[in-house]
Amino acid sequence: MRFKSIQLMAIGVVAMCSAFSASAETLRVGMECTYAPFNYRTADGELAGYDVDVAKGVAAIIGADFEYVCQEWDGMIPALLANKFDLIIASMSITEKRMEKIDFSGPYRFSTGQIVGSKKTKVNLFDGSGNPIAGNFDGLKVGLERATTYSSWFEEKLPGADVLLYDSSESLYLDLQNGRVDLIMTNPMKAHLKFLAKADGAGFEFKGPVVDEEKYFGIGVGIGMRQGQDELKGRLNGALKKLINSGDLESYARKIFPFKLHKDEWGQ
Amino acid sequence: MEVLTGWWDDYLWGAVIVAKVFAASLLLMILFGLIGAAAKLSDSRVAQKIANGYTVIFRGTPEILVILLLYFGSAIVLTAIAKVFDPDVRFVDVPPFWAGTIAIALIVGSYATETFRGAFLGVKPGSIEAARALGMSNLQTFIYIRIPEMWRIALPPFGNHMLSLVKDTALISIIGLNETLFVAKQAITVTGKPFTMYILVGIIYLGFSTIITLSVMGIERFGNRTTVGAR
Amino acid sequence: MSFDLNLILDSLPKMLAGFGVTLQLLVVSGVLGLILAILLLLMRLSGKFYLDWVAQVYIYIFRGTPILVQIFIIYYGLPQFEAIRDSVFWSILREPTGCAILALTLNTGAYVSEILRGGVLGVDKGLLEAGSALGMSARQKFIYITTPLATRLALPAYSNDVISLLKSTALASTITITDMTGIARTIVADTYAPYEVFISLAIVYMIFTFGIQKLFGVFERYLGRYARREE
Repeated sequence: MRFKSIQLMAIGVVAMCSAFSASAETLRVGMECTYAPFNYRTADGELAGYDVDVAKGVAAIIGADFEYVCQEWDGMIPALLANKFDLIIASMSITEKRMEKIDFSGPYRFSTGQIVGSKKTKVNLFDGSGNPIAGNFDGLKVGLERATTYSSWFEEKLPGADVLLYDSSESLYLDLQNGRVDLIMTNPMKAHLKFLAKADGAGFEFKGPVVDEEKYFGIGVGIGMRQGQDELKGRLNGALKKLINSGDLESYARKIFPFKLHKDEWGQ
Repeated sequence: MEVLTGWWDDYLWGAVIVAKVFAASLLLMILFGLIGAAAKLSDSRVAQKIANGYTVIFRGTPEILVILLLYFGSAIVLTAIAKVFDPDVRFVDVPPFWAGTIAIALIVGSYATETFRGAFLGVKPGSIEAARALGMSNLQTFIYIRIPEMWRIALPPFGNHMLSLVKDTALISIIGLNETLFVAKQAITVTGKPFTMYILVGIIYLGFSTIITLSVMGIERFGNRTTVGAR
Repeated sequence: MSFDLNLILDSLPKMLAGFGVTLQLLVVSGVLGLILAILLLLMRLSGKFYLDWVAQVYIYIFRGTPILVQIFIIYYGLPQFEAIRDSVFWSILREPTGCAILALTLNTGAYVSEILRGGVLGVDKGLLEAGSALGMSARQKFIYITTPLATRLALPAYSNDVISLLKSTALASTITITDMTGIARTIVADTYAPYEVFISLAIVYMIFTFGIQKLFGVFERYLGRYARREE
């Protein structure tokens, strides 16, 4: 029994090692795959979206093959640290808290948040200077996705709020529509495009200003990777700058929105 | 229904993955179950204790937790083992397909251990005595007497184990395996119609369950074909 | 991999805060499921084909599909329809806990009714004949003979189902319920440390399972107190 199991393990390990050592550089990229319009799967079975375009652009410039791995959002960083993939290109904001555990490339998209709620909820949730009024959130149920910049912002600013934590942003929108939650905090670009501009979102509106406090939202979203890979980071940053300066990044954005999603100065 | 246009083939591929996971985990489950039953029936106290530990751990832990633990933990454990053989290895990873397959095989295998153990114990002592009287060796007794009687006893609960295996495949969607439930989640992102998408998943799994149940019924009839009174 | 013991000590109390939620899901679904199971059982034993057939289809559907899919259909799928949102059921379906209990009840009801049916079929026919000889009506036979014996026969399988129910409550975390698994996933998402958190969570569930098994063991011994031979 002992002998056989060691043999089996050895065969398994050798098989996996040889399967792993591919010729060209292959990097695995983790994405949520359920976050339209940034990374999602179309009916053809292909991945599409702003993040996917950025990934493909970067792959072409640095000359690597990218393999895409789908991962639920709340397990994204643990999976990266457990070596399930090498890069995170999933609209992940570059925050201090995340920088403690992983490294990021430069930013390739704005990171902001805004609260969306029903038109029937007639409370002033924010005061004149853009700070939330804690008392006015009483009695309102708030939906947030786990492990996001939005949930961190809420935890700090409104610790007493009645919060429900979801596994994916899609569930968030569904439950806002059917009235299980009164408010959600989400990416305003996505909210506008995929929800408010459509029939389903007719009875809903933004309930406050755009929040972009750097402490919670960072300087933008970037490509996540494990720490200690400065050479890779350098190559990725070089690739992103090329995409910005060549206008490719803007073209990816304009496929979806009538504006670009980045600051030109990131290309310097 | 038009909302499903374009998604049919994705669901089909998802169903193919369910079938693949089922086939792989079925083999592993039988393997784990037999090893566990052998350990419990053996004379070695150590083997019994290990097998008992195995059943307690995997019957007492929620499936979703086992899958998550194996998914996150597997790379670390295997890398450590691999480094022993080849220090240059950066890491060894287990893709979601295998992490999930091994996880559900281990879980249902712990139930199968009990089923196989009970089935082996249910072999009529008279048959064994007759085999001895005929001068059959231990191996011959095992192959010609124990196994045939044992699988017939084990079949009904084993059918349930196979059903559990198929249904637990849906849980592997949590770690990103592109089987039908995960396809549904991605489809909902684009179409916004959760009921339709999830019902389709249910129908596909119901289809798998039906195939398994009918197969088990067929095998039962085959197994009992020489028994008087069997229909 | 560094095993952060402080993290375990830190997160255990937080996870145990969810114990009440898990227990609530388990007990409420268990009791309601048992009632549903008895109802289904009576339908199947009624002899009236329309009741029997409806029960059989229900059991087939709920045992043939994964419980995760059932949870998603009820929680995300049903609200897709205006009619449901405007109906009287919405007060239950609006709450994630309501949806979870509904899904778990419907699921366990199907399994338990089959377990009870197995117990009923296992009652020795001779005893029922004796009952008829004594002039008992069908209803009296069912209450005084079948029920006590069937309960004792079904108890081991039923205890297995209760443990399955406990493990299924972990899936409620996928619809925002803050049971032990839900809290654990939030901690993992904040600390990026899956192993410590999930392993300690698994141990909590194992202890819980052990407790349930012991409880049922006591119950089994109590019910079988007249059947045991004096030792």
